[in-house]
Amino acid sequence: MRRAPRPGLVLRVPSRTEFLALVRDVTRRMAEVAGFDPAQAEPLALAVDEAVTNVIEHAYAGAGDRAIELRYWDEADDLRIDVVDDGATVDPRSIPQVDLERYASERRTGGLGMHLMARIMDSVTFRRAARRNVCCLVKRKPAALPAGGRRP
Amino acid sequence: MSELSVDTRELEEVVLLYPHGFINAHTVRLFEGEIQKALDRRQYNIVVSCGGLKYIASAGLGALMGVIEEVRTNGGDIRIADLNETVRNIFEILGFNHLYRIFPSELEAILSFREGGETGTPRA
Repeated sequence: MRRAPRPGLVLRVPSRTEFLALVRDVTRRMAEVAGFDPAQAEPLALAVDEAVTNVIEHAYAGAGDRAIELRYWDEADDLRIDVVDDGATVDPRSIPQVDLERYASERRTGGLGMHLMARIMDSVTFRRAARRNVCCLVKRKPAALPAGGRRP
Repeated sequence: MSELSVDTRELEEVVLLYPHGFINAHTVRLFEGEIQKALDRRQYNIVVSCGGLKYIASAGLGALMGVIEEVRTNGGDIRIADLNETVRNIFEILGFNHLYRIFPSELEAILSFREGGETGTPRA
């Protein structure tokens, strides 16, 4: 019987913003181990920072006594990071599209993080699994990119 | 070690902010607070000099976005200087380079306020 694949690293952090720096450092290192150069790894760390911030602010509504699990999958062609929480489910479709000019005039700031995640990663998807929310971030590895392929 | 410090300096009619470290959801209140202090003093010509800024997340970009209309309505502007490649990349990903004037150096940003007061979004 084939065993289900396991993540290369699992990190469990409290739902507090003081752990964002740790998340960023770990993500950057994992990206470098997976073959991204430091300049490419930095935006990946930002995308994961944004995903964790979303969980703290929206799924957990600022509660600092919950847990967030990060699962890093170093796959053949991709680096995949699952950000998992057991808080309220947030429908990503409810997050407004970013229109910077309108945002400035209306003093709005929400949605920027989601916009950044979508621009940095090749894929950002959300699903429910085992009563938990899973935000799945995928970035194609540099070596797997075709000539002239998209880079961060 | 603190993840963010923000020094400020006034030079004639311009307020200079020097964020040093990381601006994310954890540290953004400090950054917002320093911007707000300038606005409370009715100082609307602001240069954010980013030579010491290693990293900015959407929380920090939102802090700039949240006050830009007030600043420009009062005849001022927020101008950005001395971005490292990482931060410049983040600004460009979000299109902030179309909303804010960005200068290679702090001096150029300061001098731009003497050009005749052009505010608002940068020229294409």
